[in-house]
Amino acid sequence: MDKGPFVCTGCALLCDDIAVELQDNRVTRVDTACRKGVSRMKGCVSPMPCTVDGKTVDENVAIREAARILKEARHPLVFGHGNSTLEAQQKAIELARKLGAHIDDTSSFCQGPLVEAILNNKIPTCTLDEVRHMADVIIFWGADPSHSHPRHLSMYSYFPRGKQRQRGWEEDRTAIIIDVRKSDTAVICGDKLYEIPVGADPDFMNALLNALSNKVPKTPFNMDPKRILELANILKKAEFGVVFAGLGMVYSLDSLDPLFSLMDKLNETSKFHLIPMVGQYNMRGFDHTLFRETGHINRVYFRGEEIEHGPQQSVIELISNDIIDAAMIIGSDPLASLPGPIAKKLAKIPLITIDPCENLTSRRSKVTIPSALSGVECDGTAIRMDGVEVVLKQIIETNKLTDEKIIARIMEEI
Amino acid sequence: MGFGQFLTEPEFKFIIVTHRDIFQNTAQESSRFSEQYAELSSVIRLDKDDMKKIGVKAGDSVIVKNASGRVVLKAESSILEQPHPGTAFMINGPWANALVAADTGGTGVPAFKNIEAVLSRSKEEKVTSLDELV
Repeated sequence: MDKGPFVCTGCALLCDDIAVELQDNRVTRVDTACRKGVSRMKGCVSPMPCTVDGKTVDENVAIREAARILKEARHPLVFGHGNSTLEAQQKAIELARKLGAHIDDTSSFCQGPLVEAILNNKIPTCTLDEVRHMADVIIFWGADPSHSHPRHLSMYSYFPRGKQRQRGWEEDRTAIIIDVRKSDTAVICGDKLYEIPVGADPDFMNALLNALSNKVPKTPFNMDPKRILELANILKKAEFGVVFAGLGMVYSLDSLDPLFSLMDKLNETSKFHLIPMVGQYNMRGFDHTLFRETGHINRVYFRGEEIEHGPQQSVIELISNDIIDAAMIIGSDPLASLPGPIAKKLAKIPLITIDPCENLTSRRSKVTIPSALSGVECDGTAIRMDGVEVVLKQIIETNKLTDEKIIARIMEEI
Repeated sequence: MGFGQFLTEPEFKFIIVTHRDIFQNTAQESSRFSEQYAELSSVIRLDKDDMKKIGVKAGDSVIVKNASGRVVLKAESSILEQPHPGTAFMINGPWANALVAADTGGTGVPAFKNIEAVLSRSKEEKVTSLDELV
């Protein structure tokens, strides 16, 4: 067996320094990973059984039934993908194309707009390794990595002594938090917290834009202009700045224009980059793959030879408007993560779940097919939150099929 | 059975902001059906003065509802230093999602972090279970 180090698939940081101990082909101890990563790599306590209509079956039967449901559906949806390898994602896109299906992923209601802007070269970006070695001004905007990406601060963004930042966080780095609350990250990073009202991110961006243009920054929520001018000064002097954009920011922007303007302005006087705080370990990978194949990162309908794309093709609108009549869910739990009224609608159509673990969606699914946990029970590749490709290694043996293999088998049946 | 039984509890308007939590996430990795996952996901954190105004103590059940759904949650006091009247915090999960509207104005992006709801005291109702949600 490979001695490691291994890659953790607990989040899109894809920490690649993980050591494990094994006993009877099980991961019994995980070193270096965060609490969440340890829990991911040790595996869940409720593995998903292989079933059709709640009855245990062998995987051939489940795969045949999944193929039948997808084939008979007029508008099948293939959804999830954030917890699958690039290889499995590629296969899922192939399947959707073959079926003439709708395909979407969690980026549809998550970091999609930012990943799309980066892939279309509308926002400058950089790698986490560059952040570790060079970043001197770090903005966490609507993001709380202490909870969402627990090793972000220690691996890359704040504490490390990088090549050009030998004095680390004590002297060489300034962290700024822009948020609606004093998050745990704000507690760690000290005094540069800019607390703004819910949804006021565009107003704050405009105020900051004014401050950077030496105008008096006004906000509808009366933040002291001096504080905003002080922030603008820090940003102007940055040698290598980076904005880590969280969902708090993304959900507050109806359009990305205020962010584009701010990034442009920041880059007039200094160098500023943006990295989206992607959650699931390979959500960005799916967006890259679909973008390469179709020119769109998500929300695609393979309608014959044509490709339709737009908000109407989003998982939310497709369910809301009663368009889809069957769905295959890969490595995701939409009944837990979608708005309640949408989840209730989804639960009424025939569902196929492919996942290592039981979840809310699998318990309501007509077909469940257990798959190997990537980075533990199978290898593959993935794309980190900053766009860097990372190779995942297999740690333990399993007789479970990979997502990729399951989708390939379903395609053969179809 | 007292007369109070028949009085309607006053309702208070709130904006709920959801956020992530490493402990809930860790519990979820182990099992979506664990007790800890349910306990952490079904707490609503309120401003201390708001709690006095509504008349709830830490650990009391509250009913939170809007046009999208209705859930019974456990009220806890906010752990934030700054006062935040009218804003409440929840860890994101199926309990908070029950209150998120399906209507996205055609954008396909629900308002997960900006949920308008009304909150009232509960008369001995139990916190909504995961089974009741979906």
